Amino acid sequence: MSSKPGRVNPTVKAAIHQLVIIIFVVIWLIPIYAMVINGLKSNVAVYTTPVLIPPSSPTIEPFQAVWSSLSRPLLNSLILVLPVAFIATFLGSMAAYFFYMLSNSFSRVSSFVSNFLFSLISLATFIPYQATLIPLTKLIADMGLLNTYWGLAFAFFIFYMPTGALLMSIFITAIPPRIIEAARLDRGSDWRIFYKLVFPLSLPGFISTLIFNIIETWNNFFIPLMLTTTPNMRLIPVTVQSFTGGYATLYNETFAAAFIASMVPLGIFIFLGRYFIRGLIALGTGGKGV
Amino acid sequence: MRIQGLLMAIPTIFFSFLLLYLVIWNLYFSFTNWSLLNPHPSFVGFQTYASLLYMEYFSISLSHSILLSVGTVVFGNLLGLLFASLLYFLGNEKMRSIYLSLLIYPLSISMAANSLIWLWLFNIHIGINWLLRLLHLPVPLWLSSPSTEFPSLMVVVIWAYAGLSLIFYLAAFMGVDKSLIEAARIDRANPLRILFRVLLPNSMNGFIVSSALLFLFSFRIFSPPYLLSGGPTNIFLQTSVVYMYYLFTTEYFAQASAVATIITAIATAVVIPYALYGIKRWMKHE
Repeated sequence: MSSKPGRVNPTVKAAIHQLVIIIFVVIWLIPIYAMVINGLKSNVAVYTTPVLIPPSSPTIEPFQAVWSSLSRPLLNSLILVLPVAFIATFLGSMAAYFFYMLSNSFSRVSSFVSNFLFSLISLATFIPYQATLIPLTKLIADMGLLNTYWGLAFAFFIFYMPTGALLMSIFITAIPPRIIEAARLDRGSDWRIFYKLVFPLSLPGFISTLIFNIIETWNNFFIPLMLTTTPNMRLIPVTVQSFTGGYATLYNETFAAAFIASMVPLGIFIFLGRYFIRGLIALGTGGKGV
Repeated sequence: MRIQGLLMAIPTIFFSFLLLYLVIWNLYFSFTNWSLLNPHPSFVGFQTYASLLYMEYFSISLSHSILLSVGTVVFGNLLGLLFASLLYFLGNEKMRSIYLSLLIYPLSISMAANSLIWLWLFNIHIGINWLLRLLHLPVPLWLSSPSTEFPSLMVVVIWAYAGLSLIFYLAAFMGVDKSLIEAARIDRANPLRILFRVLLPNSMNGFIVSSALLFLFSFRIFSPPYLLSGGPTNIFLQTSVVYMYYLFTTEYFAQASAVATIITAIATAVVIPYALYGIKRWMKHE
């Protein structure tokens, strides 16, 4: 069976298609591959062998070397990030429900209020948060919350609760307004409608928003840098940064440190990635519906 | 009933207004002369802003920030679109989700960790150049030459954020009515034709979300320019955010506030139209 001239055999086409994707995937994986293999190299091997060549005699020495300085920051991040992200996302979802009701009522005042609040939560989500560095540090210091979990949590809420509200506002639009209208006509209170109807219906969106917030909070470098000074209160990304000071002071431990700092968000991504992606795809279809 | 709804939104509204307070605080102190030398600030009008114009670092860092963001929007969108198209036309759904994860994982790693790894990869002797040399490809000097330093930073940022664009395009493509695609297939349209005639015209949301987020995420990026440069004063890699941090650490508080205000103003100019004419309007179509 010969194919017509000018037409590529479908099998060949599919193979080329796969090949192109695989080339990009391999390029994209280079940094994580380098992180894993170099974390297992001895100090000498890191300096003398190419970064892309695996170690001839793998060792976990670098991990042992960094563990003592990273275990406490890792614990701090775990204690702080998960509850903060959950509370921020949940309270943000409640606000998203309110914004949804507001933008579906057609009075001029509520439309102005809703536009204003929507702009504000968007700004809080996307502002270069470093720009608030001086007043934020001062605010937390005035509250006497420097070097405390509470101070960090408070600062994270300023940015990640609006983020939760914004993302959930988008996810909630996937719920047809008639369903909520019907529940309101049934004299359901707002809290009940939210808790029994809106929240369960937008659960994939909630999980997606939660994961987004966990990862963003976990990886946030600047806020803990400003608000913590004692070694005991350090969070993980700040500690990782201390493993470098430019070219001269790069050690093989940087790979092990980077690996330890990345394993929690990466693990979440690997195990809940399907939810994450499903949630994000709902973002596209939720917004379309024209 | 209304009151209860409002009460539910109170925590978010409280923290959002707190942010507004921080922004206004910056704006206020940007009109003073507060610094290490002037611990009791007095009001000086636009003098602090005027003094910034004489600082070489100010305009250079701002142009770096804008160049980085625009570059990320352009290349991030192109790559995101390419990846999304490649994945969309894969027949196998399982394979698609695996490839998708492998292309977007950089989003989950801290930029500080990313930068450390890239510092090694950019090593001109044992980094990726080792591989490029084996393949007889040109070997750039990456961070070791002023002319390639900034492009190296762009490589890291685009590697990290192209996945963002991929997600939103793929989501938009997935949202396109399947019957339109089927109709085009029956007409024997090839994938490229389907892409340009059916998928893209129906993916405006993907484009808006992807562009806005790429701009904003790269505009506020801190660890890569800070770490790849080896310090906040590297003239080739300094961005506005790094410059502001530098002013803060050297206790030029009023000037740091002024730069912070300018950064906020630029971000706001993108955020608000995006929020009101992008997200919000498209939400209302429901």
